[in-house]
Amino acid sequence: MKSECSSISGLLEKYFDQEVTPEERSLVEGHVPDCSACRMALDSMQNLRMLIKNPVEEAVGKESFPWVWEKIEKGIQRKERLGLWDFLKSWLDVTPLLKRKILIPAVAAAVILILITAPLLFKKTTSYATLSVVEYVESETHNVMIYELENEKVTVIWLFNGPEEEVSTS
Amino acid sequence: MDVNEAQLISRCQQGDQEALKEIFNQYHQKVYRIAYGVVRQREEALDIAQEVFIKLFRSIRQFQGKSRFYTYLYRMTMNTAIDHTRKMKKVPSLSMDAEEGFQLSDDAERRPDRILDHKELEARVKWAMDQLSPDQKAVLIFREVEGLSYQEIAEATGSSIGTVMSRLHYGRKKVQELLKDYLERGR
Repeated sequence: MKSECSSISGLLEKYFDQEVTPEERSLVEGHVPDCSACRMALDSMQNLRMLIKNPVEEAVGKESFPWVWEKIEKGIQRKERLGLWDFLKSWLDVTPLLKRKILIPAVAAAVILILITAPLLFKKTTSYATLSVVEYVESETHNVMIYELENEKVTVIWLFNGPEEEVSTS
Repeated sequence: MDVNEAQLISRCQQGDQEALKEIFNQYHQKVYRIAYGVVRQREEALDIAQEVFIKLFRSIRQFQGKSRFYTYLYRMTMNTAIDHTRKMKKVPSLSMDAEEGFQLSDDAERRPDRILDHKELEARVKWAMDQLSPDQKAVLIFREVEGLSYQEIAEATGSSIGTVMSRLHYGRKKVQELLKDYLERGR
């Protein structure tokens, strides 16, 4: 290797990659014909390029691509369907971790709701609103009013003796 | 970016599959070449190429035209291919058909010993390339397979030209060292 190789070697790779300025190019081209080490370095880079590139070019040359496009089209459609499914999944939460994330608060909310509403649902109240008047009879001595409870099928008969007096029986 | 390409991209951004097909027709060989350069296996390279165009269709809205479209596509291809090799490393391969990588030029070269030679050589090249870091591998493939300039590689990898030159230099050096026997035989 000649003494000027050290200054050229930094340019050699750029020269090989055609990234040198015209001045650098003439510098390298003035040196390489007389320098076996630099020629070997360039050959080695060229051989490496062939080893990497040639099999790729041969593979591309052998390939027919229209069917690849068909697979891409199908792939896009499948992904669109999957996209919708993913959206649904985000609502349904089928993954175990997310299931816990959604189910625990949901169950807790349901329990609280039941605890709040249960006393109201099972509270025993006498509601006159459920009474319906079946018959009302007025006379000189008594007034009689017959009610019927809708749910319990109970008949209530009120006897009014006078304005201040009420008698009830059932 | 020329007007036609800009229109094509704009149509594709609006979900036009015909526009994607035109992009596919224009770029499929380049995408396949890069993918094959990384994985060096036909089926895997085709899977990657397919995945790249599906990904492109779904993410092209994010392309704002700040870089050249092909460097955007090359970056996507390289990332997909490198992700693919990472996944494949986790799944032990049952067979590797390195012969796929070579088509012998004539009948004389189809002798079993020659086939074995090519098969072995291609397997060795793949092995050597796999010893590189993903960054070095990307730069080397962009340069050696696709012939991109340093500037284009910098754009596609999102790094500086200095970094590209350094990765290229050390990548070449490493592969040259690993394939020393074959490179010397080639002289």
